[in-house]
Amino acid sequence: MSWQSTESFHDEGFGFDAFGLHPPSLASALRVTAPLYERYFRVESSGAEHIPDHGPVILVANHGGVLPIDAAILSLDVLRHTQRIPRPITDHFVPRLPIASTVLARLGVVSGTRANVRHLLERGELITIFPEGVTGPAKRFRDRYQIQSWRVGFAELAIRYGATVVPVAIIGAEESWPLLGKLGTHMFGAPYLPIPASPFPLPARLHLHYGAPIELGYPPAAADDPDAVTEAAATVRGALEDELAVALAFRTGVFR
Amino acid sequence: MRVLITGSSTPLGVALIEALVAAPDVEVVLAIGREADAPVPPTEKLVYQTLELERPRVMHDLLWGPAHDLAIDTVVHGMHHRRSGDHGRRVHLQNVGATRELVLGCRDHPTIRRLVYRSFAEVYALRHTTSDLIDEDEPLDFDPTAEQWTRDRVEADLTVCAQLGRRLSIAVLRFAEIMAPEMGSQLWDYLQSRVCLRPMGFDPMINVLAICDAVTALLLALRSEATGVFNIPGRDTLPLSRVIFESSRADVPVPGPLIAPLYRLRRRIAGFDFRYEMNLRRFHFGGVLDGSRARDALGYTPRMPVHWPTPWWKTLFERLDPRNAS
Repeated sequence: MSWQSTESFHDEGFGFDAFGLHPPSLASALRVTAPLYERYFRVESSGAEHIPDHGPVILVANHGGVLPIDAAILSLDVLRHTQRIPRPITDHFVPRLPIASTVLARLGVVSGTRANVRHLLERGELITIFPEGVTGPAKRFRDRYQIQSWRVGFAELAIRYGATVVPVAIIGAEESWPLLGKLGTHMFGAPYLPIPASPFPLPARLHLHYGAPIELGYPPAAADDPDAVTEAAATVRGALEDELAVALAFRTGVFR
Repeated sequence: MRVLITGSSTPLGVALIEALVAAPDVEVVLAIGREADAPVPPTEKLVYQTLELERPRVMHDLLWGPAHDLAIDTVVHGMHHRRSGDHGRRVHLQNVGATRELVLGCRDHPTIRRLVYRSFAEVYALRHTTSDLIDEDEPLDFDPTAEQWTRDRVEADLTVCAQLGRRLSIAVLRFAEIMAPEMGSQLWDYLQSRVCLRPMGFDPMINVLAICDAVTALLLALRSEATGVFNIPGRDTLPLSRVIFESSRADVPVPGPLIAPLYRLRRRIAGFDFRYEMNLRRFHFGGVLDGSRARDALGYTPRMPVHWPTPWWKTLFERLDPRNAS
């Protein structure tokens, strides 16, 4: 794996970075999940060449499905098509989950605190953000591929650290594992307990469309201007919605 | 430079005294400890005094007596109670009262112009919502139910920080855990058992500091004019399971709620100092100090790895190896 020897990884001396990323674990996960990526979800990817080879990058994607299969597939796709290690940003409750928190940390997942994201961007890393947050997976099936609430924090950080934003439309995850209902239990701080419509993800074909990179073009000082941040976030949202519309129009069927 | 050191009988204090005595730019070292004998053999440069600084009068007399007479210009305050199980007014006076008296005394002192205060990473509040890399702006632990050991350290840290920006030049160094005996290290005590219980499903990142790096940071802070709060991380950052492995201990994941009673029992039976309740959040969420401010302002970069004990299996192989028979 070429990314194991790149500047993407900051070894703290024992083969781990400060966030817990462990490249050999990531390489193993890539091997183990290859049949899922290639044969089960038959991922079709286009536009990965839009991802810059170096420097801070934020991949902004839509979010859906019971569990974050879309985030996992996006990470696998970036690892296969670039020499960079993606750092998916998760919600605050994830570090409280036993086992999952440790496994995800070894695979490069980082809790979404402002300081964590700042550190990653200062290091020039590639992060993946789902600005819808939990509202994306929590939406009803009939609202699929419609952007829900849109947080703007990523835009502020992109402006402050001069990060390139690449919108990514992910098609198929919503049909792969639709949400049937939600239980209001808040185990481990999770906002709800999902009830999936099927016991396991259905083999819907997943399509990933990387849009053209967006240079927001604001000076770093504009990161403190709420209007500029809102405007930048809206620009990215518009670009992502355009990508989603095009990708859905070209899709010939959920399982094809 | 003419330096006053408190807490000089700890391993860090001893190493600092040795470094200062060897430094050509240091004229006098006035070391204060509780023990009757000096921790290092006295030299022309070194003056050792046995004092219990938790009494305000003793602190006053030190600052306006020997420190004034020796024209001390720089103070390193590293005196803290080390046993986590001890609590009460006397411990509080040692941790907080003495720090307050020292800071206020230094502020009005005619010769002292710089104070370097040794603080701790444990002052930061570790939650699932805090960052993995902890910078100096992260919230402190104001949990009223926390152990006195933690509350005292937060109070003492803030007592010093409250004087920042005034006449006295102050650097507060928040050290990562120093893995050494007699340093009040909870991790060191935790690793004294052959079997280490770890919360099942959690393997947080831990950062540990070697004494050499701690001394380097103190020397840099003494010679610098930089004021403010600085995190001092160590070179080794590794998961808790790896810490246990490197220490040649057996790593046994146990459901979280069972660990505290088991370690409480261990403390009562064997008299160890490790308290799981104090380390609960750290053993779940980790937290590594971000030392970029210390790097930029003080020129500090951690270099020395912690000395891990040789694993038992390696020692056994070496003994069985016929090439080592001679």
